[in-house]
Amino acid sequence: MTFVARKLGFYVVALWAALTLNFLIPRLMPGNPVDQLVSKLAQKGQVTPATRHAIELLLGADTSSPLWQQYVDYLRQLAQGDLGVSVSYFPAPVTQVISQTLPWTVGLIGLSTIISFVLGVGLGTLAGWRRGSWLDNLIPVTTMFQSVPYFWLALVLLYVFGSMWQVFPLNGGYDVYTTSPGWNAPFIGSVIYYGTLPALTIVLSSIGGWMLGIRNMMVSTLSEDFIVTAEAKGLRRGRIMRTYAARNAVLPSIAGFAISLGFVVGGSIVTEAVFSYPGVGSALLSAVNSSDYALMQGIFLVITLSVLGANLLVDLLYSVIDPRTRARG
Amino acid sequence: MTDMTRRRARRRVLTGIAAASAALFALAACSGGGSGGGGASPAGGGKDASITVFNGATGTINENWNPFSPTALQPTLGVIYEPLFWYNLAETSDPTPLLGTEFSWNDDGTELTITTREGVSWSDGEPFTAKDVAFTFNLIQKTPELNTSGLSATAEATDDTHVVLTFPEKNSFMQEAQVLGNQAIVPEHVWSAIDDPITTINPDPVGTGAYKLKDFTPQSYVLEKNPEYWEEGKPSVSEVRYISLDTADAASAALLAGDVDWMSSFLPGLDQMLKDNQEISYVNTPALTTSIYTCSSTDLGCEGPQTDPAVRQAMYWALDRDQLNKLAGGGFAGTGSPTLLLPERDADWIADPGNLEVPSGADVDKANQILDDAGWTKGSDGVRTKDGERLSMTIQTVTGWSDFISLNDTMKQQLAAVGIELEPSQLAWNEWNDNQVKGTFQLSLDSIGLGASDNPYFTYNPKYSSTNTAKVGEMASGGNYARYKNEKVDAAILAASQTSDEAEQKAQYAIVQDEIVKDLPYVPIYINSTLTEFNNTRVTGWPDNEDKYAFAASWKAWDNGIVLKTIQPAG
Repeated sequence: MTFVARKLGFYVVALWAALTLNFLIPRLMPGNPVDQLVSKLAQKGQVTPATRHAIELLLGADTSSPLWQQYVDYLRQLAQGDLGVSVSYFPAPVTQVISQTLPWTVGLIGLSTIISFVLGVGLGTLAGWRRGSWLDNLIPVTTMFQSVPYFWLALVLLYVFGSMWQVFPLNGGYDVYTTSPGWNAPFIGSVIYYGTLPALTIVLSSIGGWMLGIRNMMVSTLSEDFIVTAEAKGLRRGRIMRTYAARNAVLPSIAGFAISLGFVVGGSIVTEAVFSYPGVGSALLSAVNSSDYALMQGIFLVITLSVLGANLLVDLLYSVIDPRTRARG
Repeated sequence: MTDMTRRRARRRVLTGIAAASAALFALAACSGGGSGGGGASPAGGGKDASITVFNGATGTINENWNPFSPTALQPTLGVIYEPLFWYNLAETSDPTPLLGTEFSWNDDGTELTITTREGVSWSDGEPFTAKDVAFTFNLIQKTPELNTSGLSATAEATDDTHVVLTFPEKNSFMQEAQVLGNQAIVPEHVWSAIDDPITTINPDPVGTGAYKLKDFTPQSYVLEKNPEYWEEGKPSVSEVRYISLDTADAASAALLAGDVDWMSSFLPGLDQMLKDNQEISYVNTPALTTSIYTCSSTDLGCEGPQTDPAVRQAMYWALDRDQLNKLAGGGFAGTGSPTLLLPERDADWIADPGNLEVPSGADVDKANQILDDAGWTKGSDGVRTKDGERLSMTIQTVTGWSDFISLNDTMKQQLAAVGIELEPSQLAWNEWNDNQVKGTFQLSLDSIGLGASDNPYFTYNPKYSSTNTAKVGEMASGGNYARYKNEKVDAAILAASQTSDEAEQKAQYAIVQDEIVKDLPYVPIYINSTLTEFNNTRVTGWPDNEDKYAFAASWKAWDNGIVLKTIQPAG
């Protein structure tokens, strides 16, 4: 029990440090939200000196109170679950902006990461088990896709499958013309259809890492003595591959998987830009561009919490699936 | 469980999963097939025509139909709500009556009397009267957070069709364009019941415009025809849908696939792209003068060679604008004017015909002469020096503005021929804008924006008047980023604002123009194109180069309502 308690204590301290950095870093950027908004308005029409004053009042001139006061307010509001009002999406509250965009990101990126992991581990296990077969050729192909710049790969696939052979749609999260959001079959079908190409690009560009990792671990695990014992005992080959070899080889990959799951909520800005996908990445980008402290902090908070949560989960999970970490002395 | 049963159970589970995924894919294929291969397309032309517009929205769309809010969705201004009059910025013309039919000033310039249109109803059926106009202006005047124009007038409806605005200062003529052309009129019966007009998003907007809101999702929203609209037979198109696209690539792909009917994007290879495409046309309405902003006043704290007027003059003469247009402007840019006005539209306002247009080619000899006379001597490395200072300046622009980055690189080469060294730098928009507002820059590449009307006051006042500037290090939010301070210009701008006589204004602007052509705190390059692309298969009647009945950009407030009213279903 002290094991878990120690872990939790450490993560609480890490959380506090992350929150403080989360507060400080956006404020180190040049510019302030009022001037950003005024200049954006000036590009589209007429602004006068009175405009700045009006917008200052509108957004609340919070740049006047001292920094430590803002920090205390920030922590207090966090504890109450109030993430503030967004400037770039004024007057929508931050929780609303995040709740509108996060499901899309978690759905697309989360599913893609899971698919990529499952496929990568599966293929890598086979490639490691059957060394010298044609599966070995998959490794350089997939690692090539991984090293090609992701946006280039996405653009090429979009052009080929969207414009050249019109198999997939060009942009969007779902069919806005014929379906409306809700738990109905056409909408869900449309979401899957529109998400297939972005998911495909993510899977293609990340599968190489998983495959390579587990294939190498498999190769080294297969030379262990307990594999020889299992074969000598007369177990079926498939069972040895899955239950003995892969189960041990996959341990480092699981740690990496949990951490990449944590980063899923950060969104993939490039994916969303290329496919015009309505996720949290583009909200974060516009928040950074508009010095929208509240929205930036809100999204960073979500990312921080999920990464810390994923790390904690991995730590605890590891002690479950690998009994060696539990043993002391 | 024995091995056998476990295997059978696993097989059953696998079969189940396979069946489920097959069903899911079949579902996706069905819905996918229904909407067409290359993604969904809008409904065709004919009686129930529906069009798709891309107005520059990226990412998630935030619902906000509050016409007073700076983050209101763009169709709020002009499509759902209307102003009193409409000023056409594409060509010089009298303001078009919309909700107002006539207006007149008193001699003092303290009272503006407006006659409102009869027979207009709000989209909820209530009649529109002058009381709504008075309510709108009074609401702005007493709520500082909404008063972005600095309106100090109070309004009173003398009867159902007449309203009088009373301004506290005399000669408030220059406020006319803002009051008549840039303010949406809201219904009193709805807004007097709203507790917080500042932060409300106004979810069911009630306006007098040609369209009203049908449906909204964060990815796209639809407007439908307003059956109560006051103009007979308009609008003809029954639905307008707005979508969001993240990049210019996505926009051009959507345009070529026929998914978008109206959008404004700068696509450099446009002529090439549309060579074989009969459905798509475009119009070019150059309106924003791309200029080199210089931090020009040593009094206000600027440092660097650009504070010397001779250097600015030399830059003006040494630029080869034809080459710049070809390399950076895509060949679409218009010819600018040293008076910072638009030569085609504003020829009447430009007093001296010699100041009408910028030179198209480079006059290297003249530039060299100017620099020689000012004491800048050529150094051994080809860069001029004076009193130990090298003629080297940094010029900043925004990362991602590819045409401006090309401009910088080309200008660097052109100016090197006369001994001027340019050091281009690319910054994030935040930092670039911050530098301009605070004056912590030497040269910056930016555009002069659109005014409330085509009166030169709206170009000269924000950019040249010393009331709109500040010392280097302080915020010059008014817009005079060049830190330009000239008493003659200040006096002339003030005098022009005090009169409604156009001849008198022109005489004052002549004084301004003489000074700014000499000083050139903003060195004009060319007028940046505003390309707007249209798809003609579903609707026709878009503005074109022969008939610029409105400023066609899909993001332009007020004009968007005029365009949507004028288009007709094709065929």
